[in-house]
Amino acid sequence: MNGGDLLRPIAPELTVLVGACVVLLAGVTRAGRARGLTGWLALGTIVTALLIAWNSPAGNGTAFGMRVGDLAWYVRMIALAVGAVVLLVHWQLPSADERGDVFAMILFSLAGILGTALADDLVLLFLSLELVSVPTYVLVSIGRSDVRAQEAGVKYFFLGALASALMVYGFSFLYGASGTTAISTMALNPRGGYATLGLVLAFAGLAYKIAAVPFHAYVADVYQGAASPVTGLLGFFPKLAGFIAIMKLLWIVQPFDPVATGWNLPWAAFVFLWIVAAATMTVGNVLGLMQTNVKRMLAYSSIAHSGYMLVGVLVGPVTGGAAFRDGISAVLFYIVIYGLMNLGAFTVLAMITSDGRAAEDLDDVAGLARRQPVAALALAVCVFSLMGMPPTAGFLGKLYVFSSALAAGNNPYYSALIALAIIGVINSAIAAAYYLRIIGACYVRDAVRELGVVPKSFGLQLGLVICCTAVLLIGLWPRGLIAMARRPFHDAPVTTLVHTPPPPTMMNSPSAQR
Amino acid sequence: MMAILNEWVLTWLIILPLVGTIAVAIMRTADDTDADRRRVGRAAFAWSLAVLALAVAMVLLFCRARDETGGPAVAAGEFALSQNVSWIGDVEGLEPVPRAPRYLDLRYHVGVDGLSVWLVLLSALLTTLSVWASFTYIRTRVKEFYALVLLLEMGMIGVFCARDLLLFYVFFEFTLIPLFFLIAIWGGTERRFAAIKFFLYTFTGSMLTFAGVLYLAYAAYSLPAELGGGRFTFDLDTLHRLRLTDREQWWLFLAFAAGFAVKVPLWPFHTWLPLAHTEAPTAGSVLLAGILLKLGTYGFLRFNIPLFPAATQTFAPMLAVLAIIGVVYAALAAWVQGDMKKLVAYSSVSHLGFCILGMFSLKQAGVTGSVLHMINHGLSTGALFLVVGMIYERYHTREFGRLGGLARRMPTLSFFLVFFALASIGVPGLTGFVSEVLVLLGTSTARQATAGSPAGPLGVAYAAFAATGVILSAIYMLAMCQRVLFGPLVEPAGGHHEAHDLPADLTRREIAILTPIAVLCLVLGIYPKPVIDTINPAVDRQVLAFVHPQPDAREPLDAFADANSKDKVGRVNSDTSQGRAPVADSYFHTFTLSHVHTLPPEAHP
Repeated sequence: MNGGDLLRPIAPELTVLVGACVVLLAGVTRAGRARGLTGWLALGTIVTALLIAWNSPAGNGTAFGMRVGDLAWYVRMIALAVGAVVLLVHWQLPSADERGDVFAMILFSLAGILGTALADDLVLLFLSLELVSVPTYVLVSIGRSDVRAQEAGVKYFFLGALASALMVYGFSFLYGASGTTAISTMALNPRGGYATLGLVLAFAGLAYKIAAVPFHAYVADVYQGAASPVTGLLGFFPKLAGFIAIMKLLWIVQPFDPVATGWNLPWAAFVFLWIVAAATMTVGNVLGLMQTNVKRMLAYSSIAHSGYMLVGVLVGPVTGGAAFRDGISAVLFYIVIYGLMNLGAFTVLAMITSDGRAAEDLDDVAGLARRQPVAALALAVCVFSLMGMPPTAGFLGKLYVFSSALAAGNNPYYSALIALAIIGVINSAIAAAYYLRIIGACYVRDAVRELGVVPKSFGLQLGLVICCTAVLLIGLWPRGLIAMARRPFHDAPVTTLVHTPPPPTMMNSPSAQR
Repeated sequence: MMAILNEWVLTWLIILPLVGTIAVAIMRTADDTDADRRRVGRAAFAWSLAVLALAVAMVLLFCRARDETGGPAVAAGEFALSQNVSWIGDVEGLEPVPRAPRYLDLRYHVGVDGLSVWLVLLSALLTTLSVWASFTYIRTRVKEFYALVLLLEMGMIGVFCARDLLLFYVFFEFTLIPLFFLIAIWGGTERRFAAIKFFLYTFTGSMLTFAGVLYLAYAAYSLPAELGGGRFTFDLDTLHRLRLTDREQWWLFLAFAAGFAVKVPLWPFHTWLPLAHTEAPTAGSVLLAGILLKLGTYGFLRFNIPLFPAATQTFAPMLAVLAIIGVVYAALAAWVQGDMKKLVAYSSVSHLGFCILGMFSLKQAGVTGSVLHMINHGLSTGALFLVVGMIYERYHTREFGRLGGLARRMPTLSFFLVFFALASIGVPGLTGFVSEVLVLLGTSTARQATAGSPAGPLGVAYAAFAATGVILSAIYMLAMCQRVLFGPLVEPAGGHHEAHDLPADLTRREIAILTPIAVLCLVLGIYPKPVIDTINPAVDRQVLAFVHPQPDAREPLDAFADANSKDKVGRVNSDTSQGRAPVADSYFHTFTLSHVHTLPPEAHP
């Protein structure tokens, strides 16, 4: 057994980390050429990591506080694939001497997401979540001199730090209650006082990351203040990490039940999460109705979409049977789609200029269909997808999430879940009102400002094309993604513990190879 | 060869308009000259004609199609021209459970039966005519306009062909997008508000339907495997085998009705419609009234009644009352409108009340009349919107106060306006008559239980109130004709708008647009038998067969089914070559169109 064998299972994560360091260093050299290459270096890193991850053998294993399994596999796939598009969208954003920093931050944040999926230890989980967040604080305010960007950066950082503090405080209670930091061996009594306190505090910190009510207040200001490509990133990276962490924590209280039908949540915890989910959807959409700024609208829509995904989280894993009953795979499916359509919408905003500055108001996109028909079409596709109209991917995302709630017949809280699904569909209808205003502005109103496209926006255009194509393709042909999203439910630590004892290293036995 | 054609024709019919959309959208023409506009318009028209030709061919294929037993599918009321392939299913290899059974089974399943085939044809016809009618009407952003009309055509055809509930829902929702743009971009002064109101109303209703659709799939999943359960599927054949409890049916009926009632629109949910119609361009109004409103009635007929028979019995009186209120209220409202288009829009609400009423009589006559009324209303109201559009193009107003005595100025148009007004009223010999009589007949005889046809939930009182709607329709339609066409000549101050090089009376193009509809109105009024012959068996087989075996009286019917075929799953069997459908409404059969029900000789045992 040499070191290479030990490290091979986490090669994608290592690749991204090393790549991030190289890009960071290349960005501060004096040689202009090296700085020009940082973008390609970063893209190459992501693609390499993706290829390694795709070819890595399947199977579950736990060692050194990390757990390599199907959840990690899936998160690698989607985070790296969407991450590459995020990188493309940022291609033209930074000034020449900040390119290295920006790209390195994106890579570090990606590494954090991958780490979150790997973590089987509270300490590693916390570190990974911080690795996701800290670079985003930098990205929000880097290279932006306007007051609102400064405000956004400060707000985001301080509130984020507070959330992290809450979370780590909660982790300490979990450690105190169980005597271990290893998630898969924690086996807490969910009704115990310290465990409940720890879980609630940890959830509070994570609610900030996914922008759930009541920790949503920062979202609109930060989204408005940050540059549009960064905003697209904020809709995906912290959310993905947050949801994965929430699922990992809920797995702590999962009973030893190989045929799971939802979480075994105590009533109080269920009610708590139910209220958070319902409030998140409703508050997001109702406040979204009152906005005239497209970025703020999409910020509130981001809150609302977290609410939809929380429905899936609440349903929990349903092993065996049809895909559309499994809440976990629903969330994992939805979050990719949300990331892509949200990124696409912000990419359009990043691409067009109005009176020479970046577009963000409804007035800024008015008349877009006649000046920039392709950009308007792309925005319409993404916004219709956010709305959940067929045949876009957003429709199938909603289908998956809501059907998981409606099909949870074995769940002890079935009627509450049905009520939640109905609240969800009504919310989708509310949300349509403000999404339609965006589309209406593009297609119906006449231009009130001088519209243009930012120069040299090749990366933006390519990223936009990828987002829209993916949104339509997944909408028409989702089989592959559904099947991929279905794998991680298998990964519940407890079930693996019951069936196959963890191997001493992360080496996979030949029989587990795909 | 024939088999391939039969299998693929509907798919081609759905895809062809989409191809047309893309072809028109990427045409290399600018928007600014008349010649360019004409080129785009002609291309779109040629394309829609091709779709229409294919639709006609499809109808011919449908009439010749055979069902599984080899008998004619039309006479058996069966679906034909089906194509059924997996759309979203489990993927081997990527799935966690090795060799998992097909848990997830979402299908692309299309097919037509006697209920939907004419609506498909009507969609293709009205699309073609409204494209033709837009040559002079649409002068801005023409490429986008025709592309969206063709896209809408795809949605409409798809909706009527879908045999998978999810596929239906996908097309049902999808039609909102092109119509939203058609109203919002090319509409009148209030167009943005109208379009958003239209979209939000329908979307809100259909989101509740969405929840119901998902629940049904879960119910199918919970069925025992031998009934086709254990799969997460929206396939109607499986869903028809569900035995839902009364409580489930009650809620699901409400959920489905939420979407469809807004679309119809049923009385308290109709407020979006006059606005949308008034603001929409002519083509949008024609397609909205002619086809899209039928999505609601078709949805009730195809899903609510067969899937939730017990709840249907419960809710039928309530829906009938709403429908009658709609009939009378909308007729009265139409009477007092000052705008021709609003008048026709309210008359739509009134007519669709008749469709709902006939449908919930749950008698063969009533349901057949309801389906026929959908077609008739599509023709006559579509034509009325076209005529109103032609007047508007010339005078830029539709207000009664500013128009009068036009018969002198435009005799041909007056002829068509009066003709279609009479068709809409339901004068004997024209199309509306047959269907209104059937609806009223079915409603008033619903109390009578005859052999094979138990009593329906409605009765004579319902028919009596609804019949006032017929009288009112004569009043408002004729009043409109009188005010606009006769009396002293009144024209807007600017007089006739010569700017658009339209002559005072109709052009040959406009006459050619209206003539086919007029001919069809006449033919369907005098000799509706071919159409009724296809609708009737389908009504028996696809709708009433699910209703009349009452939940508590299922056993005898199940036995009946078992005696006739291998299909022992509780659904009344399709094999009509062995025995007639058990639910022939013999009252109707004996006293009214008794020839209607004769089966072709080879179908008799």
